[in-house]
Amino acid sequence: MAESFRQPFREELNLVKSGIVLMAGLVTESIPRCTEALLNCDLATAREIVEADAVIDNMSLELEQKCQQLLALQQPTAGDLRELLAALVINYEIERSGGLLVNIAKSLRRLYGVELGPRMRGVVTQMGEEARRLFGFAIEAYADDNAGLAAALDDIDDRLDRLHHQCLALIITSQQEERIERPPGVQLALIARYYERIGDHAVNIGGRVRYMVDGWRPPQADLPE
Amino acid sequence: MTPEDSPQPGSAQASYEGNDQAILDEVVFRVRDLSCYYGDVEAVRNVSMDIIEREITAMVGPSGCGKTTVLRCFNRMNDLIEGARAQGMLLFKGVDLYDTRVDPVEVRRRIGMVFQKPNPFPKSIFDNIAYGPRISKTTRNKKELEGVVESSLRQAALWDEVKDRLGDSAMGLSGGQQQRLCIARTIATSPDVLLMDEPCSALDPIATAYIEELMHNLKQNYTIIIVTHNMQQAARISDRTAFFTAEVDLEKHYRYGVLVEFDDTEKIFSNPSDERTESYVTGRFG
Repeated sequence: MAESFRQPFREELNLVKSGIVLMAGLVTESIPRCTEALLNCDLATAREIVEADAVIDNMSLELEQKCQQLLALQQPTAGDLRELLAALVINYEIERSGGLLVNIAKSLRRLYGVELGPRMRGVVTQMGEEARRLFGFAIEAYADDNAGLAAALDDIDDRLDRLHHQCLALIITSQQEERIERPPGVQLALIARYYERIGDHAVNIGGRVRYMVDGWRPPQADLPE
Repeated sequence: MTPEDSPQPGSAQASYEGNDQAILDEVVFRVRDLSCYYGDVEAVRNVSMDIIEREITAMVGPSGCGKTTVLRCFNRMNDLIEGARAQGMLLFKGVDLYDTRVDPVEVRRRIGMVFQKPNPFPKSIFDNIAYGPRISKTTRNKKELEGVVESSLRQAALWDEVKDRLGDSAMGLSGGQQQRLCIARTIATSPDVLLMDEPCSALDPIATAYIEELMHNLKQNYTIIIVTHNMQQAARISDRTAFFTAEVDLEKHYRYGVLVEFDDTEKIFSNPSDERTESYVTGRFG
């Protein structure tokens, strides 16, 4: 009985959710492609990734419009309200993550012809894997209403943060030892930053999943008086 | 309810340990384990809640959940129904409302009520408002009475619309105006509390918006308790919301109302604790 009312609205909410999961899937799949393109200086794939971002942007705009429509017409409350508000923010986090992949793809063009050393290749490979893993977990948590997994993302992200630091340290030593020029060094530092930001978006998605499932909100920081 | 004819506050509340005096001062109604019966039939079981001064408390829930019964306990309106009785504790500012020494007429002056359907008397607008003060002889002369009528109509945001036709019949007003007249009539007896039983259910959205704005303004001076079926209304105007539902007594085969959850309105509509509240406010359960 409890589920028998407002079935059409429930179906619309499910459509929003499946749309977001689909969009997140596109982004998740693009992460390893992007990493591979970076390691192989594959400009064709880089272009594909840049072009495919328009698809993600359009999906994101449509989902946002759908959320707005449901808020205006259905006046959701309680769990339904949290689900829609979470969807709006998660939609944004995914769209931004897609944007970061475009940034990586554009940076790799600027790196064209630069030979990456084995250690740098190793760190980049690991960052790509870690970002994909985190993003996959975030969406899995969202799709399954899994607040436990969502809460774990912050800790899982520590590994990507460490890789980010490792990468920056490697760039600095490489420059000191004059194994790498300054402009590609800057590009690599930006790329490391982009991966690290994708991890942060995944953690943010986790926070919204927790809000959606049980109303959890991050504790507010104490500001100086 | 003067100190002479009423039990002294304090005796009953003293048994409630751990209460901050500041909070106690703000509590207008303290309800503990209140059950209501119509004859042998139990209508409401074990309701406990505190109603805070100068707040709007909304009571929501499906039909037959007992919210109107509880509302009518607050000014002993149920006394007027044959066989109705209340059990448990109901303190109004520390005084037991159901003490035999308490005068129910005085209770209803201090705790006014506005009903679902506007019910003006078939008299002039002026006489409608002047009715209460005349009966209770709270005004000393015509000038004072006129002052009370004007101030009540002003507080009910009706003065500007009727000031030039106070002698006209109240029956000629629109539904929304009639409801504001009824609110003005209630205010004229200087109550502490306004009880409202679905005051907008017979009104169009504009008249409803008027009443809601009025309630928001009246909150500065009065404690308001409203029963409403319009959940968006409860969400818009109330500070706290009580959700009631009906449960079935499996042994005796009858339904009785219970208070499921009572919390800040924002909490009830964004993250309620009880699944029954969640189902009701999201509209999944009638």
